[in-house]
Amino acid sequence: MNQPQPPQWTKTLLRWLHPENTIEEVEGDLDELYAYSVQRAGKTKALLRYLLNVVTVLPPFVRRRPGKTIYDQPFSLSPDMLKNYFKIAWRNIVRQKAYSMLNIAGLSIGMACSILILLWVQNELSYDRFHTRADQLFRLTCSAGDFKTAVSAAGMARGLQAQLPQIKGGVRMSKQYSLLFEAGEKKMEEKRVFYADSNFLEVFSFPLLSGNAATALRDPGAILITEETAKKYFGTSDAAGKTIRINNNENFTIAGVLANTPSNSHLQFDVIIPMKTMAKWSRDIQIETWGNFNFYTYLELDPKTAASASARQKLTQQIARIFHEHGQTVKIDFQLQPLTDIHLHSNLQIDLPGHGNMQYVNIFFVVAIFILIVACINFMNLATARSERRAKEVGLRKVVGANRYQLIFQFLGESFIFSFLSLVIAIGIVYMLLPIFKMLTEKPLTIHLLDGKLLMSLMGIAVLTGLLSGSYPALFLSGFAPVKVLKGKMRIAGGNLLFRNALVVTQFVVAIVLLVGTAVVYKQLDFIKKRNLGFDKSNLLYLPTTGELGGKQQALKASLAQNPLTENFSVISDLPTKLESGTIDVIWDGQTTRNQVVFPSLDVDENFVKVFKANILAGRGFEKAFSGDSSGYMINEKAMQIMGLNVNNAVGQRLNYDDREGTIIGVVKDFHYKSLQYAIEPLILRLNKWGGVVMIRTTAGNNEQTIKALEKINQQLNPAFPFTFGFLDKDLDNLYRSEQQMGSIFNLFAGLAIFISCLGLYGLSAFMAEQRTKEIGVRKVLGATVAGVVGLLSRDFLKLILIAIVIASPIAWYAMNKWLEGFVYQTTLEWWVIALAGLLATGIALFTISFQSIKAALTNPVKSLRSE
Amino acid sequence: MRRTYLGEFEELVLIMTVILDDQAYGVTVSQEIERHTGRVVTFGAIHNTLIRLEEKGFVTSELGGATTERGGRRKRLFKVTNLGKIALEDIQQLRNRLWKMMPDNNLKPSGI
Repeated sequence: MNQPQPPQWTKTLLRWLHPENTIEEVEGDLDELYAYSVQRAGKTKALLRYLLNVVTVLPPFVRRRPGKTIYDQPFSLSPDMLKNYFKIAWRNIVRQKAYSMLNIAGLSIGMACSILILLWVQNELSYDRFHTRADQLFRLTCSAGDFKTAVSAAGMARGLQAQLPQIKGGVRMSKQYSLLFEAGEKKMEEKRVFYADSNFLEVFSFPLLSGNAATALRDPGAILITEETAKKYFGTSDAAGKTIRINNNENFTIAGVLANTPSNSHLQFDVIIPMKTMAKWSRDIQIETWGNFNFYTYLELDPKTAASASARQKLTQQIARIFHEHGQTVKIDFQLQPLTDIHLHSNLQIDLPGHGNMQYVNIFFVVAIFILIVACINFMNLATARSERRAKEVGLRKVVGANRYQLIFQFLGESFIFSFLSLVIAIGIVYMLLPIFKMLTEKPLTIHLLDGKLLMSLMGIAVLTGLLSGSYPALFLSGFAPVKVLKGKMRIAGGNLLFRNALVVTQFVVAIVLLVGTAVVYKQLDFIKKRNLGFDKSNLLYLPTTGELGGKQQALKASLAQNPLTENFSVISDLPTKLESGTIDVIWDGQTTRNQVVFPSLDVDENFVKVFKANILAGRGFEKAFSGDSSGYMINEKAMQIMGLNVNNAVGQRLNYDDREGTIIGVVKDFHYKSLQYAIEPLILRLNKWGGVVMIRTTAGNNEQTIKALEKINQQLNPAFPFTFGFLDKDLDNLYRSEQQMGSIFNLFAGLAIFISCLGLYGLSAFMAEQRTKEIGVRKVLGATVAGVVGLLSRDFLKLILIAIVIASPIAWYAMNKWLEGFVYQTTLEWWVIALAGLLATGIALFTISFQSIKAALTNPVKSLRSE
Repeated sequence: MRRTYLGEFEELVLIMTVILDDQAYGVTVSQEIERHTGRVVTFGAIHNTLIRLEEKGFVTSELGGATTERGGRRKRLFKVTNLGKIALEDIQQLRNRLWKMMPDNNLKPSGI
């Protein structure tokens, strides 16, 4: 009798998982086999074999012995059953109109949000992928310490190509120029003009509508314009061969017409002028410089190098080596930036405007998913809460012979009907909202329903929603035991209630996090806008000295000074928002190692300090009385710190900037001349001797008259050029455009998430109130007040929302801190922001519940108790 | 008549069932296969095969009386059916026919 026994836990496992109708003989057989192999091979081997045998008779390996009694089950997919499912589903939708409305409204709004966001995400990700060799194109960028820039030197494209066989082609693009164009009567300033090498059309795949792509940019007297521009000037897109006058001094022929720049291209241009034209006046091109970084260089690599990160790494090192062989001593690292990364992964200085941000793409993608989840939760909640209504149906179906899988199939099918119905409505909503969304995002988003990929992803969303929202109700409803259900009233199990509560909490966690997010985004934007920039940005008008104004400095200054409206002016070399020149060739007294920090410079005149209302910390500003000021420098605080000076000893120090010897005459308090996303950089102010932009400080309320006065001056001195002007504070605000967009989109979706949550809450509260009709009736008869009843009904929900606040706070705190880290100057994330968001969520939720709870509390108890 | 397909392992198990006569159940079939062919087969394979053979109608089974040696658990004893016998015979005949069609020297290792 002392037979060896295998471990007990395996038997438990076996009994638990093995099919019931064969467990007896299998267990016996296994024991017998175990005893047999213990005899033959010893205990360890026997045990191993036994375990292996056990595994082979567990699902999914084991074959089930068919039961003795076999019912003839109707096939779930037979037409009759399908018809029945549809009929029942439709009846349920129609019978419970309010409930169906809530469900479909929630789901379709959620889906619409997701579709909109996904459209935007897709658009962001599609940038520059339309070029046929997009994955072989790279932009040469460089970095000197923390200063990363998108530009490189004019000689590099050709020089590198000659020495490195991996580089198949290179095209240089100039910075963006703003020129005056004139054809016939039409005379306008074009702001998106680029000079490009003649192989521009070979490297990039911008389609040419008319003209010869091979010769288009070879003739320095012929330019390319886009279709839109052609229509603007010539009224027709067939403009090839026509003549256009640029800057009132030179005529060009139109060599060809390009299709309008695709909106998902980081290069946005209206006119392309051959680089040879620029070579006439640009010294950088004439000498093929390796020292001045003024061009965007795009390189086409051979496919092998382009595909391998290590090969590219090697290439950048070779580029740096060749760069030094050209006599450059500066320590600069080069990078090859993939063309398709430029839009989303670029945070370079002196770059083309209009970049996106990968972080925002990720954030919005997550938000889209969460909104969909919130909508699905609604469906799950309402479906399980109202399960009682369908319990009898489930019971009856089971009695008649339905098995669980059929029921799961049926309920999942119903949720699919809901989700596809919602999809149709969602597409309608998307069509309606698209114009508004386009305005918000400033993106030309379109929805092409016949596009297979889009259709597939829409279907995907619907299927996902159907599965997500239908799975729990399907599993839950199909699990009812028919005896219990049919016997009488079934109490909803506590576990189900807990699950439902968890879902409500999840919904509100999402809503509160989004609310906090919106609040923080706005707070940060406000912080940036209100931050003291170090100079007074309001009422600063600027007038670029275009055309003849540049040559008439004295006349311009004289006429500005005559008018009291414009007399408060200063001529500076560049707008602070567009400051692009700088050098690391800075030598100062007591310097120990060669300078590696880029010092930008700005040329200002004697009025600068007065007009900008900048603060002088030491020394003085430029003054007419001092004739030696032309070799004087003003520096900002940051520059002073880098040079190791202080307020007391800085003035009078010698400074060699860009090979020009001079003395520091003053220190100006740091002012922000770049987006607040960057920390303050050192700045050298030089005396302006040539012109640039005229800045005019107007007095509040006189802006319009000042503009008129300026227009008059422009007309007198510069009749050939149209009058252009701008406000500096508006330009500064534009620097935060993407943050502002993010704020408003965030706002929209946070609002919608809360709305969807409230729809669900409304449904739940209606259900709760209905369930407790009798209880409320009895309470009222016994003397409960309306307020008491409302409180009773709201209390449960209030608890859930409090839990949600507790969970959401740390999540929101962490997420928003992460976002703020991207800013150098950040607002503080205070506790009251989260408290406010929580309070707001609570308020909205209570308001939603109040509809139903007050209605329930006001019902006459006679009515609710009558039916007993 | 459509011949039911019988896999190699199924055939082996079916033959063992015939050999063991009225003592064929999971343990004995498994032990006999190991003894005669040297193949160590997992119990699950045997179990599944026997069920499959029963579904195909080649064997029948019934639970035998309880004995003390297996802790009071009954065995499921398998018995070959007429259909099973016919199937085995069919296979055997087919093999014989095919063997006869083979040229004599082709089975010998060539070139030696």
